[in-house]
Amino acid sequence: MQTSRWFLWSAALALIVVPCAAQTAIPAAGTVISVASSSATENTILQAGSSIWNQALPKKVSLNRTPPLYDTDEPALPEIWTADVRVLRAGGKIYVQLSWHDNSRDAATLQPVPDSPPEKRFLKVPTEAGDRFFDAAAVMVPAQPGSPVNPSLQMGDPEHPVRIYYWNAVRGAMLMEARGRSTTQRTGQSFPAVSVFKNGYWAVTFEAPDLPSGTPMAFAIWNGSQKDRDGRKYFSVWYTVD
Amino acid sequence: MSKHQYAMVMDLNKCLGCQTCTIACKKLWTDRDGTSYMYWNNVETRPGLGYPRQWDRIGGGWKDGMLQPSPLPTMDDYGHAWEYNYEQRLFEGSRKPVMPTPDPQSGANWDEDVGALNGEDNYYFYLPRICNHCTYPACLEACPRKAIYKREEDGIVVIDQDRCQGYRYCIKACPYKKIYFNEVTGKSEKCIFCYPRLEKGEVNACAAQCPGRLRFVGILDDPESPVHKLVYTYKVALPLFPEKGTGPNVFYVPPFNPPKRGNYGKSILEDPRLPLDYLIYLFGEEVKDVIVRLEAELKTAQEGRRSEVLQLLIGRDAETRYHIRPQLVQIRL
Repeated sequence: MQTSRWFLWSAALALIVVPCAAQTAIPAAGTVISVASSSATENTILQAGSSIWNQALPKKVSLNRTPPLYDTDEPALPEIWTADVRVLRAGGKIYVQLSWHDNSRDAATLQPVPDSPPEKRFLKVPTEAGDRFFDAAAVMVPAQPGSPVNPSLQMGDPEHPVRIYYWNAVRGAMLMEARGRSTTQRTGQSFPAVSVFKNGYWAVTFEAPDLPSGTPMAFAIWNGSQKDRDGRKYFSVWYTVD
Repeated sequence: MSKHQYAMVMDLNKCLGCQTCTIACKKLWTDRDGTSYMYWNNVETRPGLGYPRQWDRIGGGWKDGMLQPSPLPTMDDYGHAWEYNYEQRLFEGSRKPVMPTPDPQSGANWDEDVGALNGEDNYYFYLPRICNHCTYPACLEACPRKAIYKREEDGIVVIDQDRCQGYRYCIKACPYKKIYFNEVTGKSEKCIFCYPRLEKGEVNACAAQCPGRLRFVGILDDPESPVHKLVYTYKVALPLFPEKGTGPNVFYVPPFNPPKRGNYGKSILEDPRLPLDYLIYLFGEEVKDVIVRLEAELKTAQEGRRSEVLQLLIGRDAETRYHIRPQLVQIRL
């Protein structure tokens, strides 16, 4: 009986302490990602399957599933529990590689109809995937690094805007910004990114301007086969780059 | 709530199933990449599977103030777009007949004219469908991006293509499945009630091209408009599946004519050509009152007296059928 009471008190304490910890810049144990430095060129680092990534220590990041957002959503059990994150600094840039196991590569190959005169438009490519969704991943960082307080994990907050490097298996890389939940919008800019799906693993590399040591970083993964899009996704807590 | 509401009434007794409206819409709005399979305006045979298949049974809409779940229709449900090998036959000397590719297995109005049996008699009719531009749009509520809005000046429901992210919650929420996903743009699209035409004083393309002259267009709250008269004054037009709770603004004059062969003067309710249960399924219990009203009007005309309702439903000219008010449109800065 005493043991279970002790357990309840610990759990209650954890519920109070953990959210507070997420709001401070003091990295919780195990949430620091070590960063490797490299003299490699951008082309080498962004080459698919580049061996340069062996230099960076992988950090296993725990993923959480967002709770059902809408009553009309089908439930989805967690399938992707962790992702490996590797970070490299080179040439004034920071490179983040996110890799995770995925049972299916959800990435339709689009064959756009070429701009051709009407008489040549007989053979339009029929669309096949109106009910499919696609794999995607994102890295979120504060828009203004150096703040003593981490932004809210839910797409930042009005005082602490965030920058989101979003990659989609069909649409490529898009830079987004947000100031809180449901404020995410595209900036219209892209960024260099490369993705490989091999042996049931995605490896997606993001390139961003260098970030100072101690900058928080959070990760998200959308699993297309689970109809993930919008806030229906996997997410990590804030980690810190060394 | 919008200040005004554009609406359409379609008289199902006059629909030929010729698909001219479908083609008018297709040529004007969905002859783009990624839109091959989509028909913002479609005409389906009833009873039948509909387009997409079983759209009327899979879900969406409102119940007790809550959005109802629904699966997303698959491309098989819509029907894969096919093309014909005209080039081989016409220009490359092939002697084989022109054939579609891929081999069609389903499509819009795939079960054309199949219908069903009422006793020993086959029956069917055509149901033209566009977006209902609902008063309480489930699609609008379902969109987490707030990409869907109802135009304040005329009640037309549109999707902001800049805000849409292609999440397709709207497609699930729409009980009429009248929103389509464009895989090429990665966004959802729907009927826009031809608002650019209305703003210039032109009626919707589907209505303008209809050889059966079965479409009536106007402002629902304008007592002078034909749609107001048919829906509120004469009470002979009903929305489709009113129980879905979205308040559709497309109304139908239910099919009741011609009378059943050899019914020897019995009323349509006594000996209907179309089973009443099916009409009640589509339009609710009120359809019985509408049929009684229409039959009374028919009797008036047959006795040589003038029926204002039938005169309007005949719709001899565009002035009778359409009441477009371009001055409603506000200038957007």
